[in-house]
Amino acid sequence: MRILLVEDDPLLGDGLRAGLRQLGFLVDWVRDGEAAERELRAQPYAAAVLDLGLPLKGGIEVMASVRRAGVALPVLVLTARDAVPDRIRGLDAGADDYVVKPVDLHELAARLRALVRRAHGQPQECLSAHGVTLDPAARSVRQADGPVTLSAREFDLLHALILNAGRVLSREQLEQHLYSWGEEVESNAVEVHIHHLRRKLGAGLIQTVRGVGYVLPKDSAQP
Amino acid sequence: MTLPRSLQGRLLVLVVGLVAAVWLGTAAMTWADVSHELDELLDSHLAQAAALLVVQQARAIDDDEDAIDAPTLHRYAPKVAFQVFHEGRLAMRSANAPAQPMFEPGEHLRTGFRTVQIDGVAWRVFAAHGGEGHVQVYVGEQVNSRDSILWAVLRSMLWPMVVALPLLTLAAWWAVYRGVAPLRRLGHTLAARQPQALAPVVVEGAPSEMAPMLDALNGLFTRIAELMETERRFTADAAHELRTPIAAIRSQAEVARGEADAAQRQHALDATIQGCDRASRLVEQLLTLSRLETGAAPAFAPVELSALVRRVVAELAPLALAKRQTIELDAPEPCSVPGDATLLAVLVRNLVDNAIRYSPPGSVVKVTLASRPGRALLKVDDSGPGMDAPDMARIGERFFRVIGSGQSGSGLGWSIVRRIAQVHGAAARVGRSDTLGGLGVAVEWPSTR
Repeated sequence: MRILLVEDDPLLGDGLRAGLRQLGFLVDWVRDGEAAERELRAQPYAAAVLDLGLPLKGGIEVMASVRRAGVALPVLVLTARDAVPDRIRGLDAGADDYVVKPVDLHELAARLRALVRRAHGQPQECLSAHGVTLDPAARSVRQADGPVTLSAREFDLLHALILNAGRVLSREQLEQHLYSWGEEVESNAVEVHIHHLRRKLGAGLIQTVRGVGYVLPKDSAQP
Repeated sequence: MTLPRSLQGRLLVLVVGLVAAVWLGTAAMTWADVSHELDELLDSHLAQAAALLVVQQARAIDDDEDAIDAPTLHRYAPKVAFQVFHEGRLAMRSANAPAQPMFEPGEHLRTGFRTVQIDGVAWRVFAAHGGEGHVQVYVGEQVNSRDSILWAVLRSMLWPMVVALPLLTLAAWWAVYRGVAPLRRLGHTLAARQPQALAPVVVEGAPSEMAPMLDALNGLFTRIAELMETERRFTADAAHELRTPIAAIRSQAEVARGEADAAQRQHALDATIQGCDRASRLVEQLLTLSRLETGAAPAFAPVELSALVRRVVAELAPLALAKRQTIELDAPEPCSVPGDATLLAVLVRNLVDNAIRYSPPGSVVKVTLASRPGRALLKVDDSGPGMDAPDMARIGERFFRVIGSGQSGSGLGWSIVRRIAQVHGAAARVGRSDTLGGLGVAVEWPSTR
């Protein structure tokens, strides 16, 4: 799951990035409001962690402006301001969650997963389609005949496909889900990972739409 | 006489005392006036009576009868006496008159008033003569009868006063009680207040005399409220400011706990310690500031500023060198200012530390101490990015840091500098450095030499 971290404090930003990475997130970190707005408009992040007291452009402004631009991703506001009016202002400006510093990294991760799940209309923590169950918190995948071992990239790819079940995702879109900044993207990485997933989970799960991309068909059992 | 402590008692004593004094004064004047008028009136009556007797004697008494004792006809009569002498012989007298002339024999045959003692009683006597000098008449009246009339007049004045004074006291008490009611209401209002209530006091129907007091009181309340609000905001801001370093420490510690890679773990642990340093620096700054805000005025002694600046710059130079910055000190001559050495060191350290911290690697930091007659001027210049005008305007706000500086300062440094300067009667200015182009801070003291 690729998220954008917006935090101007170097030490905290560094810690959050490292911590969220440990917990399986792909984290891009920006330190000011203008960069945050630019990235949020340009990249399909699964969610954003947003500080409010930001240089160049305040967090509230950033949120209001990306919401106006139609960016619907879940935003978790992480701030030192805990007064009720501050919370109300933050939520009204378009935040989906409001967390006061300091925060437990596991809790932050859980909140982010919950936000992403809800944003995709998934009521349950575990995602499942066609007999494959994916647990984002444990980063584990099961099939009817037992657990399946996936690499981190394979897991992220499957996660993106299941979350967007029924929607065709292009190779570029999938790459954006798989790599944060500074990571080398091999030219045929997506194809390789798809190939591995098909081998481990069965060939019929992920379908190729020639010239467009890949799709995990909506489970007929699911609404 | 000491007045009572209560306003009510004080007013009552003054009002009743003054009324009584005026009344007594009036009585005294009346007494003097009445006594004078009474003397004139009664003297004229004596003269009249004497004249009548002289005329009557000159006409009617020709024979040589024995002296006639006139009957007593009125209860006042014993107080009045007369004698009629005809050719030196007593012709007639009142019952209470002596046989001898009321005057000394040597002073026969004269006319006029005289107060004499007869048998130990004071008499006012009028002597008259007539009938070719054959008739000598004395008409006397006891002086105490005049006194009793005077007393009667005075009594008639004083009696109403004796009755009226208690009534007046009661009335004055009531009036004063009504009059000081707004004061009492103010007292009740203040007594009933919650300690935290700092809204202006409003007293219904307060007289104009109370307005200055109420204004002063409400002014005080306003100032206290502002002070408390400042304190409250400061505490809240300080707590918020501490949240970020604590959050950083927590996240780094969690990363270290969960990290398998040794280098990554080491990085996270280093960052944790860095975060602790930052938090403790912030706490230290908060304490310095709070001591400056609330503490008593520090004891001033002459401080050798150039030595102090040299010490601080030496202390901080490693920091600058670590950033490959050039740090210079120009303090050619000794310069003494009155002040608190510890606080002044905090001020200088903050300025130099800020210059190093907020200037990029490779820049120049220059500290200059110049001594002019009666003034000492400390300048800290750097070749860093400086500040734009809006930032400069906001620099005094607590917890304002120039964002985008990439530094994790608390934003308290300038507040501390300004406050210490203020305590020392020094002026601190921040602007663009005219020598190095970055930030230039100047602090100017009145020096002792």
